[in-house]
Amino acid sequence: MRATPPLVRWLNTTPESLPLILVVVEIAVFASLSSNFLSPGNISNLLAFTPEMGMIALGMTALITSGEFDLSVGSVFGFAPVVMWTLFNEGVVPLEVAMVIALAIAVLIGLINGLFVTRLRVPSFLVTLGMMMTVRGLALYTTSGFPQRTWRAESLMMDVIAGSFYIGTFRVYASLLWFIGFTLVLLYVLRYAKIGNWIQAAGGNPIAARARGVRVDATKTWLFILTAFLAAYAGITSSIRVSAANPNSGTGYELEVIAMVVIGGTALAGGRGTIIGTVLGVLMLRMMRNGIVMIGVPGLAYNIFVGVTILIMMALQSYIERRNPARAR
Amino acid sequence: MAEPLVRMRNVHKSFGPVQALAGVDFAVHEKEIVGLLGDNGAGKSTLIKILSGVVPATSGEIFVRGEKVSIRNTNDAIRFGIETIHQDSALVPQLSIARNLFLGREPLKGPAFLNRMDKDAMNRIAGELLVEVGITKKLAPDTPVSLLSGGERQAVSIARALFFDSDLIILDEPTNNLGVEETHGVLRFVRNARDSGHSSIFIAHNIHHVFQVVDRIVVLRNGEVVADDIDPASSTIDEVERIITGALAV
Repeated sequence: MRATPPLVRWLNTTPESLPLILVVVEIAVFASLSSNFLSPGNISNLLAFTPEMGMIALGMTALITSGEFDLSVGSVFGFAPVVMWTLFNEGVVPLEVAMVIALAIAVLIGLINGLFVTRLRVPSFLVTLGMMMTVRGLALYTTSGFPQRTWRAESLMMDVIAGSFYIGTFRVYASLLWFIGFTLVLLYVLRYAKIGNWIQAAGGNPIAARARGVRVDATKTWLFILTAFLAAYAGITSSIRVSAANPNSGTGYELEVIAMVVIGGTALAGGRGTIIGTVLGVLMLRMMRNGIVMIGVPGLAYNIFVGVTILIMMALQSYIERRNPARAR
Repeated sequence: MAEPLVRMRNVHKSFGPVQALAGVDFAVHEKEIVGLLGDNGAGKSTLIKILSGVVPATSGEIFVRGEKVSIRNTNDAIRFGIETIHQDSALVPQLSIARNLFLGREPLKGPAFLNRMDKDAMNRIAGELLVEVGITKKLAPDTPVSLLSGGERQAVSIARALFFDSDLIILDEPTNNLGVEETHGVLRFVRNARDSGHSSIFIAHNIHHVFQVVDRIVVLRNGEVVADDIDPASSTIDEVERIITGALAV
């Protein structure tokens, strides 16, 4: 038998290898077609809006690893800032308190998702589909469909969450630092923490996990809460960055986020998840959106590129898995 | 004779109008491998489900080392030292051998809030256990279970039961779908477990496998124990088959 070349072995045993290669290829292609793609200004711009979806994708990665997913994240992304800014603009509470209330409502939404899935045994597709429409409806109803203004607010908190500063001429957004922080925490949790072992076991073989005393239902419920919290936090970040809380914002995010997670190498059926892969998946799709505009492709064509990327990734992963049982689930 | 490790007395179980167990007396002694035989529907799986806490008995008593216990769920059973190993449902294929061995009881290190698994200890103990259970092939403890053969998976399950000091290991069809070599391996693991002081209940369709490993055979028919002291050394497979089908009265 011939020895396996190192590259093939790396592809076979590391789920992050394929997305990493594609990210590098993508950067090379865009950089060669557009001289501006790698300019400090464009990278800074890219890193301004990447963390928002990235945060949702981190929560979604853990949730999918545990065998569930959440379609209501886009609605929560839109609803949480609407709650926060409406409460503030109406003079009900100070901005900081309004933010705590908005995040608490997101936690409650996640809890309800989790209880429906684990107690009533309704599939997460149906539960979170219902929640997606309910929450979006609430956002539209409470605002009558109008964006909430944000420019009257002055708060240190806004700078901490979504401010920016310069390193030389390079503008760094605070949200990027938060995203890196959340990434490190979840990376640690999935790799080294006991709860990470439970998350993977819950998605891999819930019957076996329960038989070992793993609290599968509690684990899943906490992940629904985490995902909703991160979606709300990302929505609030976004509203500060763009200076508006639009009740329609985040529409369609749920599927794009799931695409990012799956492209990164996390198994949609659960049991195996990779945070590094998700970060690569987020970068891949966000750079795609930015890059095709930079090279002059109409922005409306964006979905074609994303869709084709997903199809190519799935085909490559399936090919590798069939050739090598180490990657099989 | 000493008090049995586990004893069931006059256990009944009905599912609606169907009586699955009709007054069963059953015991497993220390360091004993009991073969549990019976045709489909004889009550074997109901009996082990009661012992492992999956379903409650309708009536009857269970004693562990002479003390009356009530087994309401799988955690109770594990607490009383009863570990059940099912063919397919025992392990998480995506997780490594070490992670499976310690699933639910992961050792931690460092400050509690970090919730950090002691991976070094897990891998070291897993490696030792694999040797103890009789796996001769070199298997890294961080190998995902999905890469293991059926026999190796059984070995991991048995190793886990040994490590957590289960007194009674219930093996439900452990040799199903295994090749000849692998079957011999599993039978060896069961004997090793007995030699290190553990008892087992061994359930298998293949009577040949049962004969090769057990100390005593118990036969169930129509929810009743029809023979509970068959010595495989002094009986033939043919006799036992006739007892199972009811052709031979005991």
